[in-house]
Amino acid sequence: MLQIKPILAALKRHKAGTILIAMQIALTLAIVCNALFIIQQRIERISRPSGMVETDLMAIQNRFVGVDDFKGGGTLSRADVQALRQLPGVQDAISVNSYPLRGGGWSTGVRLNADDKKPKGHTTLYFVDDHALATMGARLIAGRNFRADEISDADPQAVGDPAVVIVSKAMADKMYPDGSALGKPIYLGDSKKPSTIIGIVAQLIVPWNGTWADNFFENAVLEPFLLTGSYTNYLIRTKPGQLQDVMKSAPAALTKVNRMRVIPSERGVRSYAMVRDVATKGDRGMAILMGVVCLVLLAITAAGIVGLTSFWVGQRRKQIGVRRALGATQRDILSYFLTENLLIGTAGVVIGALMAVGMNLWLVTQFEMARLSLLYVLVGVVVLLLLGQGAVLAPAVRASRVPPVEATRSV
Amino acid sequence: MFAYYLQLGLRSLRKNPLLTALMVMAIGFGVAASMTTYSVFRATSNNPIPNKSSRLYVPQIDNWGPEDAAENKGEPPSAMSYTDAINLMRDKRGKRQTALYPIGLSIVPDDVNMLPFRENSYGVYADAFAMFDIPFIYGGGWNAADDDAHSAVAVIGRELNDKLFRGANSVGREINLNGRSYRITGVMDKWHPEPLFFDAVNTNGFDDPTEVFVPFTRAVELKISTNGNNNCNRDAGNGWDAWIHSECVWTGFWVELPTTADADAYRQYLNGYSAEQQRAGRFKWAPNTRLRNVMEWLDYQKVVPQEAKVSLLVSLGFLLICLVNTVGLLLAKFLKRSAEIGVRRALGASRKEIYLQFLIEAGSIGLAGGVLGLLLTGLGVLGVSLVFEPDIAKLATLDMSLMALTLLVAILATVLAAFYPTWRAAQVQPAWQLKSN
Amino acid sequence: MLKMTHLSKVYRTEVVETYALRDFNINVNEGEFVAVTGPSGSGKTTFLTIAGLLETFTGGQYHLDGVEVSNLNDNERSKIRNEKIGFIFQAFNLIPDLNVYDNVEVPLRYRGMKGPERKDRIMNALERVGLASRAKHYPAELSGGQQQRVAIARALAGSPRLLLADEPTGNLDTQMARGVMELLEEIHREGATIVMVTHDPELAARAQRNVHIIDGQVVDLAEDPRFHQAVHAARANSPA
Repeated sequence: MLQIKPILAALKRHKAGTILIAMQIALTLAIVCNALFIIQQRIERISRPSGMVETDLMAIQNRFVGVDDFKGGGTLSRADVQALRQLPGVQDAISVNSYPLRGGGWSTGVRLNADDKKPKGHTTLYFVDDHALATMGARLIAGRNFRADEISDADPQAVGDPAVVIVSKAMADKMYPDGSALGKPIYLGDSKKPSTIIGIVAQLIVPWNGTWADNFFENAVLEPFLLTGSYTNYLIRTKPGQLQDVMKSAPAALTKVNRMRVIPSERGVRSYAMVRDVATKGDRGMAILMGVVCLVLLAITAAGIVGLTSFWVGQRRKQIGVRRALGATQRDILSYFLTENLLIGTAGVVIGALMAVGMNLWLVTQFEMARLSLLYVLVGVVVLLLLGQGAVLAPAVRASRVPPVEATRSV
Repeated sequence: MFAYYLQLGLRSLRKNPLLTALMVMAIGFGVAASMTTYSVFRATSNNPIPNKSSRLYVPQIDNWGPEDAAENKGEPPSAMSYTDAINLMRDKRGKRQTALYPIGLSIVPDDVNMLPFRENSYGVYADAFAMFDIPFIYGGGWNAADDDAHSAVAVIGRELNDKLFRGANSVGREINLNGRSYRITGVMDKWHPEPLFFDAVNTNGFDDPTEVFVPFTRAVELKISTNGNNNCNRDAGNGWDAWIHSECVWTGFWVELPTTADADAYRQYLNGYSAEQQRAGRFKWAPNTRLRNVMEWLDYQKVVPQEAKVSLLVSLGFLLICLVNTVGLLLAKFLKRSAEIGVRRALGASRKEIYLQFLIEAGSIGLAGGVLGLLLTGLGVLGVSLVFEPDIAKLATLDMSLMALTLLVAILATVLAAFYPTWRAAQVQPAWQLKSN
Repeated sequence: MLKMTHLSKVYRTEVVETYALRDFNINVNEGEFVAVTGPSGSGKTTFLTIAGLLETFTGGQYHLDGVEVSNLNDNERSKIRNEKIGFIFQAFNLIPDLNVYDNVEVPLRYRGMKGPERKDRIMNALERVGLASRAKHYPAELSGGQQQRVAIARALAGSPRLLLADEPTGNLDTQMARGVMELLEEIHREGATIVMVTHDPELAARAQRNVHIIDGQVVDLAEDPRFHQAVHAARANSPA
């Protein structure tokens, strides 16, 4: 540390190189911090549990052709579900408007009292029958399942208000934070009639994986309705290990029941793993992209430090020789260059930290991103300082090996 | 002299292959990352209908009131209620206009061995074909009389025509849509504007090509529900009639206005219309309307995915760092040769010639970086599908213009980065060598 | 050929002003071989760098080949260096990345000479210094004497009117030094004007005329008592 003053004096004579290294460290820090933060956010989203048992689960997208868009589907889908449940290898099946991570679905506001103007929370709506919990593998943690006699048909344009609902725990806690939701009423949309919570499942997430649903992604309400529209999805739980067989036999069985339907050739029949894969693809890709950017960036910055420091060492061979001749030990020379790098690095990370925060604040205003946690800046600062010390090590060791006799050489 | 400097540059680069490789890689990676993400950005920010984009407009009318608008920065809904769409169609204040909505029709082939299948379909008015410059190989669109008569007519896409009629002229023949028969009036040539501007609301701008158009009036008469978003600010009530007369918004609307004067007149018309609705008691608020042309509309609908913007920004930052890195390395590389520069100056090289020599050397690094960048961009474009939806990923292509841009950016960026180091090199005094002894 | 009158050169730093040359007067005629001697720090090298247009001066006048050079810009000075002046440095100053041929070629390149003419001149120059067979060698593969001869070839290739040599034998052993010196004499006999800076009285003695510099000024050799001290000091330093 005694060396700081002479180092600063020396750096003054190498302004350009010093500024370049500091600038590179600063920019790298700014980008790496934000990239790491993006990675963390994306990974968090990728790893959200759906609340369903995702193995041995598959989905079929179905639209009946030549029937009324709103009333034509009920009987037909009931027949389909019957056929599916009897299919070998199938454990259970339901007809449902949507399911977690499907991409599209219903959402609505939920109020605590009939007279409330503003909803207390938002939720997705799943229209299901009494087989839903078994098919999804959703875990009921309080109350009971729907009874078969509670299920009724509903026109998707006029669903009406269910007397009873099952909600996800997050939804229950949102409406009744004290944990007393079971048996209590909620008001869906702008309905005046209460729906009583009869059951609570541990977890069930919304169909969307986008940012816009982030603030209610765990809120789901199951309503005991079979929609009569011409469009529906079948969610099928197969017996263990029979998924691949059922993915072939199920669409064939449906066509046999009634061929006036469209099951899209792309994405019409999917295992739940495929559903999750498609839904999280963008997040995964973004995380990978940012990861690669970080690694390459750190490598390039390290290489740049090695390059410039090597140049300095080459330039100062004589000076180093003189120092050695005057009694500096190899350690002294080594620590000279390490300290020099630490000084530049510190300047770089201070500027970089400010830039990282500034860049994040700007991203927040532009792209609905979250605020950067200062932890990431701290991690980035440590990583870059270590990177700088690591990068400078090889040229510094080379400098420390400059023999004292170098002092006497003229060229 | 150029060849001489190029030769000198290459020799110098060969002399220190590690440093050279480092710079080439920095430039290559930086440029490739930027170009890959730029390819996505370019595709998504493309003008889908350049000849008419300033003449086609989307009107918006606030039929929900200030309370709902406040949740959306005071903007009216992005779609229109059926009521307003029909009123605007009736008033016909533009040169051409159409209401439209996506209807996801199922095609039932005559061949009993073929299963029904779905194609992207829209209900539109007759004006749409001329408005959107839709090309035809056979026949054409229907006419306004068909709109009024709710005729069972259809325009189909080339691919669908190939599938059903093996590419023959099918004008006048029948097609079974949702179990009902329609007479084909025209077969479109390949038409796939990207972004899909006319229904950015429901597709986010990217989807497969549209294969079927039928009259909007026919679709509504048959009570075909929208295949897109339906947003209601309150319960619509029961049944179809209640729904279409509700304030739920689900129809798109486009109007063609040839001049800015026409656009101004249309804005006044929209405000007048809203004021009239206010007087009639339907709206309980002052007129709040918008009129946006194609590019304004795509921008407002945020058709360029956030990912495309963020990754482009990050890549540009990445390129910047690579350039700062290159500045440093070039500085080291050039100043290491101060002795050579001093000798050259003493032997009669002017500053200009030192500039030329080193900028050309930098340019050759840039070129090498550009070639590497080109290869990496090729890989990157293939890898775009990792990050973006398939509809968008397939738009990112390494075409001639992107290749040229990659090389150009690489060389320009490197030469730019070389300015400071070269300036420093040119400052080396010719006497340097004599004095150093 | 070369005429400096009342020329001065001041180095300024933030704290001090140092006169490297002060009221400096010298006149070298066409075809002369002049040796410039003087102790270390006397201003010999400064004189040579100014004479060679490597540096500017602070005051006075300098006529080179009849042209007053103080008003020339960097480009014009580069052009004169390239066309009229040949340099021979103590440290040879060959470009290590270039082979012998390419080193000799450097000034011709800047003159914008066509390929075939360049080749003729290079090979002629190399033959004169006896190194034509080493054209493809790199400086590091040659002995010190050979390197200096390449440097001379480089200076000669452009047929300069004025040859400036700064301790041309300073980095060479006696035998090599003698070879280089003979080469310079031969060049002089063929009509070139040579100005050579040296602190070796033996070498200086072989020139037509000696100019002595002390403290940045030319001194009259016969009258100045400092001359005898200087010669004495120079003898003590010289390897011979």
